[in-house]
Amino acid sequence: MSENASKTVKNTKPDPWAYTETVKDHFLNPRNFIMGDETKWSSDGEGIVGNPICGDQMLVKIRVKDGKIEDIGWKTYGCASAIASTSALSELAKGRTLEEADSITAKEICDYLGGLPEHKFHCSVLGHQALHKAIQNYISKYNS
Amino acid sequence: MIYFDTSATSPLLPEARDAMLDLMNLSVKGELGNASSLHSAGIYAKEELIKARVEIAMLVGVSPLELIFTSSGSESNNTIIQTFKDCPIIISSIEHPSVLKPAEEYGNPCIKIPVNKSGIIDLTILRSEIKRLTSNNSKQKILVSVMLANNETGTIEPIHEIASVIEEFKDQGYHNIYLHTDATQAIGKIPVNAKKLKVDYMTFTAHKIGGPIGIAALYSRSGAPYKPLILGGAQEDKRRAGTSNVILAAGFAVAARYCAQNQTSKKYQNIGKLRNYLVKELTKKIPTAKIITPLGPGQALPHILNVAFPAAEGESTQLYLDLDKIEVSTGSACASGDLEPSHVLMAMYHDAEVAHGSIRFSLPLGATKKQVDALIDKLPGIVSKIQDISTLKKEKI
Repeated sequence: MSENASKTVKNTKPDPWAYTETVKDHFLNPRNFIMGDETKWSSDGEGIVGNPICGDQMLVKIRVKDGKIEDIGWKTYGCASAIASTSALSELAKGRTLEEADSITAKEICDYLGGLPEHKFHCSVLGHQALHKAIQNYISKYNS
Repeated sequence: MIYFDTSATSPLLPEARDAMLDLMNLSVKGELGNASSLHSAGIYAKEELIKARVEIAMLVGVSPLELIFTSSGSESNNTIIQTFKDCPIIISSIEHPSVLKPAEEYGNPCIKIPVNKSGIIDLTILRSEIKRLTSNNSKQKILVSVMLANNETGTIEPIHEIASVIEEFKDQGYHNIYLHTDATQAIGKIPVNAKKLKVDYMTFTAHKIGGPIGIAALYSRSGAPYKPLILGGAQEDKRRAGTSNVILAAGFAVAARYCAQNQTSKKYQNIGKLRNYLVKELTKKIPTAKIITPLGPGQALPHILNVAFPAAEGESTQLYLDLDKIEVSTGSACASGDLEPSHVLMAMYHDAEVAHGSIRFSLPLGATKKQVDALIDKLPGIVSKIQDISTLKKEKI
């Protein structure tokens, strides 16, 4: 090793973050979330999954027109990946037919976000389950 | 950058860095040997190790011969717990995992004593458990392990009183009850003297007082039972095998000297005033905030404030603050690898929302009012934004 090698002292550090840039973007700028009282956000179907004891809870509400999700709103109690994944789900689901939206998987959400740490994948990507419940809720209300 | 996470690790003192660099430079030249070697480079290393041991022992008022260097506070804790394998081990329910897990593994049985909402151990239950365990066997060997101050809330445990309880039993002829305290968080923040505390064992580590990560100490009272955790070498008077880490020991010693000479435990009283200012301003700006750290005189370390925000999950709050260059910790499950909410906060409050919503601020000695003001400026907006997204109501928890 040369003498100079010993002088490469780090005075600055890179600025790493816990998740991908896409997660960061959806965490900081969540899309389609319901501001304020969610009961005032009229919808055709709604679903809720998770609970505060586990640390994650997602509520998804949908407005349906011509068999498609015309609008979607949500609320999430949880960590950055939970917020970002519900936001991502809302973007993925909007404009899709109910059948297409119902087929969105946790992996699809995860891929959309550019990946999530493995231990986060199972606990925080729950939005699609809430959406499934919202679609079932819609079907039971209007198609029975 | 505002670093309010000194309980996780404290910034390295430049003096400690310089002392270690000096030894590293000697090592580069081959002039710092293995402290077990008999040549001059080895003897030099051994002398450095002795000097460091003396300095660190002085900080906690023990004999250097009673001080064992280890690699971490976790190793120190594990060493003592496994010394009492198959014996009853009594711990508080808010111990650090490096006491909790080995106690569950090796204690026969492991008994966890509950704490109140301030996080203070129930001495009545502790006394009755010792009485029960010794009722049929006056020679029963028992370890009681209770931390001096909790790492998440700062709560100071009544170690003096626990030692007095054990003394009472000893006066009645029960001589095999031993007391260990994990003083990792307390060192340098409040006066800590192992002899005055009347403990048999004490854990503390370098990197919480401005020393390097990778070295810690274990005080083991002369004559108290001891079983090495790492075998295969005569280092540390046959109590801990492994080549002596002279460089880190020198950094540790500088940090210990810094604490003693600068009387950091007195200086931290000013940090306590700053912490109380933070509490006042924070509760004014966020009235629903739940203050978890007990704030009565002498109830908690002066630099720690644990607070929970309703409907706002802790990891989210932590990461928003991080983006504003304010570094803090959380008791939220999501931030930990194992996805379990803090066992400390669950033991105190039995409420997952409190645990998930908690944030720990731990102020370093250099913390300023300006930094606290910057935090108070940012925090309400962050908490409010997370609460707006939340499914939960932002009511007082």
